[in-house]
Amino acid sequence: MTPNHPFADESLAAPPEVLLVDDDEVNLLLTSLALRERGFKVTEAGSGEQALQVLREFAPDIIVLDAVMPDGLDGFDTCRMLRHMAGFESVPVLMLTGLDDDASITRAYEAGATDFYVKAAQWSLLAGRLHYLLRSSRIRIELERSRSKLARAQDLARMGSFDWGRAGGGLNLSPEALRVFGVGPNELVTLRSLLRMVPLDDRRGLLRQLHDALRHQSVLTTDVPITLLDGRQRIIHTEAEPQFNDHGQGAGYTGIVQDVTDRRQAEDKIRQLANFDSLTGLPNRRQLIWRAEKALEQARRMQHQFALLLIDLDRFKTINDTLGHGAGDELLVEVGRRLRSCVRHSDQVMEGTLEAAGVRSHRALEAVGRLGGDEFVALLPEVADDRDAERVAQRVLEALREPIFVSGQECFVTASVGVAIYPRDGETVVDLLRNSDVAMYSVKAQGRNNASIYSPQLAGRGREKLELETALHRAIERDELVLHYQPKIDVRASRMVGAEALMRWQRGGKLVPPGEFIPLAEDTGLIVPLSEWALREAAKQARNWQDAFGFDDSIAVNLPSRLFERSDLVEHIHQCVTQFGVPHRVIHLEITEDNLMKELQNVIPSLHRLNEIGVEISIDDFGTGYSSLAYLTTLPISELKIDRSFVRDLGITPQSSAVVTAIIALARSLGLRVVAEGVETLRQMEVLHRLGCGVMQGFLFSRAVPPDELQRWLEQTVLPRKAPWIGNAPAKRGDDEADTAVAAGRRQH
Amino acid sequence: MTNAHPPDTGLDAQALARLRELDPDGRLGVVNRVLAAFETSVRRMVGQLQAQAQAETADAVLVSNIAHTLKSSSASVGALSLSRTCAEVEAKLRKGDTSGMHIDISRLISEGQAALIAVAAILRV
Repeated sequence: MTPNHPFADESLAAPPEVLLVDDDEVNLLLTSLALRERGFKVTEAGSGEQALQVLREFAPDIIVLDAVMPDGLDGFDTCRMLRHMAGFESVPVLMLTGLDDDASITRAYEAGATDFYVKAAQWSLLAGRLHYLLRSSRIRIELERSRSKLARAQDLARMGSFDWGRAGGGLNLSPEALRVFGVGPNELVTLRSLLRMVPLDDRRGLLRQLHDALRHQSVLTTDVPITLLDGRQRIIHTEAEPQFNDHGQGAGYTGIVQDVTDRRQAEDKIRQLANFDSLTGLPNRRQLIWRAEKALEQARRMQHQFALLLIDLDRFKTINDTLGHGAGDELLVEVGRRLRSCVRHSDQVMEGTLEAAGVRSHRALEAVGRLGGDEFVALLPEVADDRDAERVAQRVLEALREPIFVSGQECFVTASVGVAIYPRDGETVVDLLRNSDVAMYSVKAQGRNNASIYSPQLAGRGREKLELETALHRAIERDELVLHYQPKIDVRASRMVGAEALMRWQRGGKLVPPGEFIPLAEDTGLIVPLSEWALREAAKQARNWQDAFGFDDSIAVNLPSRLFERSDLVEHIHQCVTQFGVPHRVIHLEITEDNLMKELQNVIPSLHRLNEIGVEISIDDFGTGYSSLAYLTTLPISELKIDRSFVRDLGITPQSSAVVTAIIALARSLGLRVVAEGVETLRQMEVLHRLGCGVMQGFLFSRAVPPDELQRWLEQTVLPRKAPWIGNAPAKRGDDEADTAVAAGRRQH
Repeated sequence: MTNAHPPDTGLDAQALARLRELDPDGRLGVVNRVLAAFETSVRRMVGQLQAQAQAETADAVLVSNIAHTLKSSSASVGALSLSRTCAEVEAKLRKGDTSGMHIDISRLISEGQAALIAVAAILRV
């Protein structure tokens, strides 16, 4: 066998398969032999009909056809027919013709032959021609495959290519590019018709860009908004680079167009999510701070003031708790909508656009945003003075005055607004935010529903206190507060007759004693929400104990006079007990003597109303302040609590037992119960008992403990009568009168 | 049998040599197979030509086709005189020139017979 033809493709695993068609046996035999000799695998057919038959079951790599076959189908007809058979549209066909046959050559091409070959006995020439045809066919197949891959990839990427010739070549778009523009493959598209798809406003800018690119022969990269003929809005990313002729002159452009609408929408969505609050649609904390930084930068540069208004809704937690989170959300949305109308709110401000907008561009930063929870911020990028900011603050308060309907209910919402102004109240956004917070808290402390501008006196309380205050403010939301309970003991019957609720703050694993935060809470007004929480919690606990061991007494909650002044106290208590299904009398209120007497006039109406609904009131720390005995006789109170200082000195100084005796006598004559606090020893207990006070609290019995512990103490200590204080007192039962008489007698001495 | 000095058979030696090249060691019997195929083909066509010679009017298309087929196969086996005659007759008839067709048919028949004798001389050595 002769070595492979130099044109043969070495990479082919199998020999190329040839279908040889010739009606002359001699030629068929000879050609076939010659080709086999040269490494081809030959299948022979003696006529056109036979060839077509063979092709139904066999796909050769190449077909060699004798052009003139007098009997039956000739080569031309055979070629024409096989071209119509599936799979043979582009198989190479070599037509064999005679040397003297020009007409046949033309006919051969017309019939779809790939090439022609003049019959000759030089077999290696024929073999070379076959190899050449095979190779070009293979390249063509690969090209077609890669072209269709590219088309598919472009289609998937909604991309297409185009070229534009300067010298009358015009615009040529690939079928994929036409699809990007929503145009059929056979429709005529000109640059002009595409430009008409661009909205007028954008078109001018685009034309300028095109002219610039052309003038400088520069690369063009731009995103163009267009409206397709069917009305759909798309964004087309266009990239084109200049083409140069041999003389280095610009000949035109070639590039791609891509529909990036989805990507742009996704980017917009991401930007939206990153910068805007999903509930209210307002700028979120991140966006607000970004805007504030920009506003500060501008204000510094242009030497003007700007203001931050921190707007915190009053008692939002109560609304959320009573109406549910859904309603709470609804309310926030409406509040957001109203707040927005209080400023010249701009939704969209993005990096880059600001600088382009000119000198007054910082105006575009003006907005209301949601900092989180029920906290909003109004950013005023330029204010002339405090009054400007105050006006907006008043507008905010005014905007909330109308009731808001949520869940079919009318809700009245108020807000406390704190204002900080750059540069006076802070040089950085952080400082301004903090100081607006300080101002806002001062409003809360003074009874909410107002606005206040920051002043250094407000911050004079020091950072530590401020932090404590902030933390305390969050303590309610974070459920960090707990109530501990100290039992009130009737020593004669050795049984618990009630409990006093005392607030504790579990701050980061540590228990903060009330002495460290109650005064602060009083100062800042936080005592109000704290007390409201305590009332609810006490009602809840009464219910739990009722279920657990039939608790039927009352839980005493300490309230500052400020709460008694509030017109909604009665309503609040009513809500709390109703919510947990317990009678009003389970709540017992304690007010200190000092507190009561200072605000007497304001407190009295409340006391009467509370009494009417069955809520009893005791006077705490009795004996330490200045009570007006005249008032005491008319006040609707039920109990006096003897201050611990007198109890401590019982049996030590004669004065203390004198005071205790006097209090007991006073109480008795006014028809009030009397309770001794701070009882620590059996001796104190015995003395008190002897003096006529049978109900006591103190470490002797139990300190203030968590509710479960109290229950355990009852079950394990009181009921089995195991405590040292049990057993001493009952013996004195029935001696009350004598004790009182003794006490009275002593006083007379 | 040796291929070194082929006997003068009336067939072109160069053509025969090219045939032998297809099958240098004679393993495939190419020359004989080709000549046998040629003999069959010529015999059939001579018969067809003789029928035309006796017909009232000869079928110009048929004669032209026979001339076309014999033209290349006779060239392949070295029957060069037959091949030339075929080429002349085919070209003339293709142009539509049917004058003296009987003479052409006779020439084809006698050339064909000469070729058959030459082939037989080789095949039956």
